[in-house]
Formats: sequence, structure tokens, C-alpha cells
Amino acid sequence: MRSVTKNGVRIFFPQGFLDGTAAEELLSIDDVNRTVKSNPSMILVSLKKVIFFNTNGLEPFIKLFKIARKENHTAVGFCDYDLKKYNTILKFYKDDLMFSLFKTEKIAQLFATNYDNKNINVLLYNEDKSQRTAMAMELHDNGHTPIVAQSEKEFQEKIDSGTFDTIIETTYLGQIEQNVATRVTGNAIIYTVNAFLDAEIGESFNIDYHFHSLNVGFRLFIFDASKVVSMNVHAMNFFSKLASSGAEYNANICFVGMSFEKTQNEFKNTLEDAGIIFFEQMDDILKNKDMLSELGSSSIANIKQKRVINKVMINELPNFVNATVATIEMMTNSTAVKDAIQVNELSIKNTEGMIASSIGFYGDMDGMILLVFPVEIAKKACELLIGESTEDAELILDTLAELVNIVGGKLTTLLSDHDINVNITLPRTYPNVSSLLDIVKGKKGVQVDLSFDDDKFLFFLTR
Amino acid sequence: MHTLITIEQINTYITKIPPAPDALKKTLLHLNNENLSRAASAAQEDNALSSYLKTLVNSPIYGFSNVISDIPQMFGVLGVPRSQQVVYNYMLSLLSPDKWKLFKLNKTTFHNLQSDLSVHWQKILTHLKIIDPHIQSSISLLPATIIVSEALFCENIEDVNQLRSVNPIDLNSILQRLCNVNLFDLCQMIAEKWDMGVSTSQIIQASSGLKPSENKNINILGKWMHLLLFYILSKPKYVEAGLNDFIDFQIDYVEDIYDDFSKVMDIS
Repeated sequence: MRSVTKNGVRIFFPQGFLDGTAAEELLSIDDVNRTVKSNPSMILVSLKKVIFFNTNGLEPFIKLFKIARKENHTAVGFCDYDLKKYNTILKFYKDDLMFSLFKTEKIAQLFATNYDNKNINVLLYNEDKSQRTAMAMELHDNGHTPIVAQSEKEFQEKIDSGTFDTIIETTYLGQIEQNVATRVTGNAIIYTVNAFLDAEIGESFNIDYHFHSLNVGFRLFIFDASKVVSMNVHAMNFFSKLASSGAEYNANICFVGMSFEKTQNEFKNTLEDAGIIFFEQMDDILKNKDMLSELGSSSIANIKQKRVINKVMINELPNFVNATVATIEMMTNSTAVKDAIQVNELSIKNTEGMIASSIGFYGDMDGMILLVFPVEIAKKACELLIGESTEDAELILDTLAELVNIVGGKLTTLLSDHDINVNITLPRTYPNVSSLLDIVKGKKGVQVDLSFDDDKFLFFLTR
Repeated sequence: MHTLITIEQINTYITKIPPAPDALKKTLLHLNNENLSRAASAAQEDNALSSYLKTLVNSPIYGFSNVISDIPQMFGVLGVPRSQQVVYNYMLSLLSPDKWKLFKLNKTTFHNLQSDLSVHWQKILTHLKIIDPHIQSSISLLPATIIVSEALFCENIEDVNQLRSVNPIDLNSILQRLCNVNLFDLCQMIAEKWDMGVSTSQIIQASSGLKPSENKNINILGKWMHLLLFYILSKPKYVEAGLNDFIDFQIDYVEDIYDDFSKVMDIS
């Protein structure tokens, strides 16, 4: 069964008839384990292409939901259904509806903490008042603007009269509180923490990912703590250490929306002493461009130990280049020619009309791959994934992230053939290369200039 | 160059598809003329065909209580349209690989798939009250989509999987986007090479769910065939074989016939 991970959300796409006879084949134990281990921020099962289902057919997904909830508190649910399917599921699970139902994948993304597009104007209606309230609160917490219709009549009137980005109906919110979810917004990484913060934060927080994000160039880390009830001393120590260890990178850690009603106030002082900055609302940072730029700007000057490209990476360079070249060739059906290889700082002769993407890797070795494309080449490389040519800059950047993910996946496979195991980070895209140049300023790496059908394209490997 | 698939590879593949063997041509010619005894004689000239027919017709899905080992008797029991159908199934099986890589199939499961499709197609045509040998045998061509996918993508399984891990794209779309030709176009080329009749090509094209036919009758058959394909591919052995999602199920295309379909297939 097809499944993809997009913006940290894992989506399964079963199709045809789900009647239970094929349940084990649809979702094996390995699939379940891999999905839970990858700890996505949300797990969805799209019913768009399912024409028939019964409880036995849905059972493997319900099992997956239960395990993911238990292990990681992952938000889980079905999406992409019509009214008939919605009512059928409600009927099947009326006494035990622990998962959510989202009419569309787009609606589900609004409830995912990784979703980049904030401040969506949403009209919502559910006949159950507690559901309406829960959805509105969740949407508000995620940075959107929900308008709640109190009756079906009002809902229809608002649809007719208003202009809304998204309309939510036939949607049900199950248990949705999540563990430490991660999303990237511009040059900031936002972690979402919930409920009671105690010693368990050390287990649930992906420290490898955090440090690699520092290496990749992220300098601003925001903990969205608006849903945190309280914090104990173990969690406080954890965050203090995290802030101290980030200091050598000149990184900033911020807490947003943390209430100290049920947490000792002196903890706040301790955390502030460790360098953590507190804000009331996310917009206080994200909408203040000067502050955002100042907190998130790359400052490599203060890094105590400059990380240099090493022999192991040089030995594996052919794998890095091959993973990239093979992916672009595969996506464009064109041949790549290597023009020049040099070990130096990143050098881009003409920065106009260029976009870029990067992906980090960590594990047995760590570093970062940067790909710099002229927009036209990026568009060509993404056509296979998009299905048509497009001028939509946002779509091109999103698709470029998918492409770099394929490069990362291919690299992981190639390196594992050499017994080198690495994990890859979320890809990052850059609508222009100036912000990219800030990140790699002063960093030496291997630059490979490539041509595809005479179009230039650049690969840079660094640490 | 590291490519997934190129139009040159597709052209080479189509060129390499052999024409139907003489014995098969003669068998089909006599079946077209509704001369079962001469068709049986022609079929007996080809040992592989005889063996295939015996295995297929005696498989449980055909439901005959006694073993049928005599070709004339076999054709007699099946009648002209279904005999034609099984001969086309045989022709298609000649194209299937000895060893499958992309899909977890083998000769037996592929033959079972052919039989499952044929038997259920027959149920549908009985429901629709259609008796037309070309329409009955058109189902035989449908598994060509699977054979062609296997042939074109088997050397690039990892690349296909990488691509599909970030984007829920099906093999048909990959082919269409890279080479501007899809699996059903290739089936049509095979049908033309084997003189399978225009209606067969038209139904197969409509059964993609992507190119509805302007001919209303053909379009209806296309819908039934598309839904049948996914009904069969939702069965455990074919899900396990990786067949359930190699092409996209076009649910909107078949919605208006679903209730009828569920009655014919006894789905509750």
C-alpha cells in the first residue's frame, strides 16, 4: 500500500475494497513498527480511493492508531471521505472513537502541528457543541482563525456570505494531544510540547535531530508550550542543559505561551539565566520580522569548533554525488555531466533566479547536502512529481523538498551498502540563495558543478 | 544515464513482442468462424497451448466437477466466446516473465489472476446480457498492464519505491509523465499487434478510468472492467503481490455502477 510522509504527516493510501480478508497484507507488523518508530506528527489513512470497507477491513489501521497513540501520542485519523463513509465510521465506532475524522487531507493538515501555512481563515460546524469548541481551540492553538457556526442554518448563511480559506464540516476530533512534534518555519524550528513536562522529555525529545539542526545552520528553536500544564525540576534541568549546549552555536531557545500557574516561578528565572527567552504568543516572534531575523540569524563566528569535511566523507563522496545525480537524471530523463569539483567554500557566480534546498544527515557520519538550482531546472526536475509545468513558487519549493527527500533516501541506501548508517533530517528549502550563503559562510566543503542538458546545477557537501 | 524509463525502452519492448504463433492464429480464426472442432484441432498442434488449457480449465475457479482433458470437449463445454477468451489468456501468458521481480507473482498466481478476471467478467456480461466474443475476450488483455509494468520497471524497483515514498504516484502516471504514453496505450499496441479487434482496445482504454469512451456502451463496459480489476486486486493474494496500487483506482468513474456491481458480486 502506498504511503508517504509529507510535512511530518504520514499518510496511507489504501484503495479498492477493504473487507478484512487482505488486512494482514495491507499493513504488516513491519509497516506498523516502521511507522511508529519514525514518530510522525500525525498518521492519516486516506479513504479517497476506497469504495467499500467494513470493520474488519479498517481493523489493521485502528491497531496502528492505537499503538501510535500509546507509544508516541501521535494524532491519528481517517481522511478524504464522503458523508456516507463518515456516518458509517461513526456508526462502527460510536463507543470507541479514539481517532479523528478529517473530511479532507487539507483539513487534517490544519490540525497538524507541522503545518507551515498558518493563519488560515476557517469556518467550522459540528452539531456537537463540545466538538465545535475542541476544534476551534485546536485550530487557534495551531495559529489559524476559526469562525464557529452555532447552528446548521448559521453555517449555511456564513458559507453563502463569507469568504473562508477552508470550510470544516463532517469532521470529528478524537484524541489529538501530541508529543514533541517538530516543524520548520523559515529559519526557525518549532517544537510543540504538551501537558506535563517531566523526566520523560529526555526520552521523547530527539536530541540527535536537534543537534544536527544546529549543524545544518538553524539558530532559533521555539518551544510552543501553550498546552503545557506544568513542568517539574527534571524537565527544567533538561531545558537548561539544552540551552547551554546550544550556546556555542549562538543558538536561541524560546518558550512561547508557557503558563507558570502550576509551575514554580523560580524555574522561569533559572531558565532565563540559562538563556531561554519567554514570549506570550507565537506571533510575538514570528510576526516581528526584525526579531525573527536577529534571533535566527546565522552567526558562525561564535562556534567554538569549526567542523570540517573529513576523510570518511571524501571517501564516500561518489555515493553522495551519485545519489544526487541519479535522482535528478531519473526525474528529468536527462544526462548529467560533472563540470568541476573543488574543495572550498560555496561559490555561486550568479545568485539571481536561483533556489536551493538542503538536507542533513546524521548517524555514523554527519553533514549536509546543498543543492542549488536555477528555478527553471528545479521546475523541470519537479515536473514528474507535480504532473505538469507550474509557475507556483510555493509548490515548486514544496516539491523540491520532496526531491531532496528522494536524494536523502537514495543516499541512505547507498551508504548502508557500505555499512554506514545515517538518518536524514527534514529538508529545508530556500526561495533565494542569500540565506543559504549565510548558513555556509566560512564552511569548507566539496562543490560539484553539474550540467543537465547544458543547464547548470550545483551540489555542495559540507559539515 | 540513470533513468526510470524512456520512450526508446518502450519502443524496444513493443517491437520485441512476438506475433501470435501460427497454431494460435489458426485456433482463433476457427473460433471466430465458430468452428469449434477445427479450432480444437489447431489448438492441439501446440503442446504448450494444450497443456495451458487443461490446467486453466480444470482450476477450481471454473468449477467443473470432472476433469476435462480432451481439447475438443473443453472447447465444447466452454463455448466459442469463452474458448476465445482462454486462448487470448494463453497468448498473454506467453508475454509474462519466467521470474517476477516487481510484483510477487509466479506462473500459478498469474494464471489465477487471469482466471479470476475472466470468470467474474463473465458474471458481469451475463448480468448485462451481452454475448459478444470480442467483448468477452477483451478481459484477457487487462493483465497486460501488469506484464508491461513488470517489464518496464523491474530493473528500477528501488528508484520507484524511493519516488513513491515521497509522492503517492502510480506507475501509470510515472509512465505518462516521463514518456507521454501510459500502460493502457501499450495494451492497445499489443491488441493491435495481435489483431484482437477494435472493441477490445476501446474497452481496455476506457477501463483505465482516465479516458472515458465517447461510445456509451463501451464506456459502461470500461467502468465495469475498472471496478472488477480493483475488486480482484483487493484480494489478499494480489495485495500481497503488490498489485493493489500499481495503478490508480478512479473511484468517481465507477460510482454510478457500484450498487449494481455489489449485487452481481454479492458484496454486503
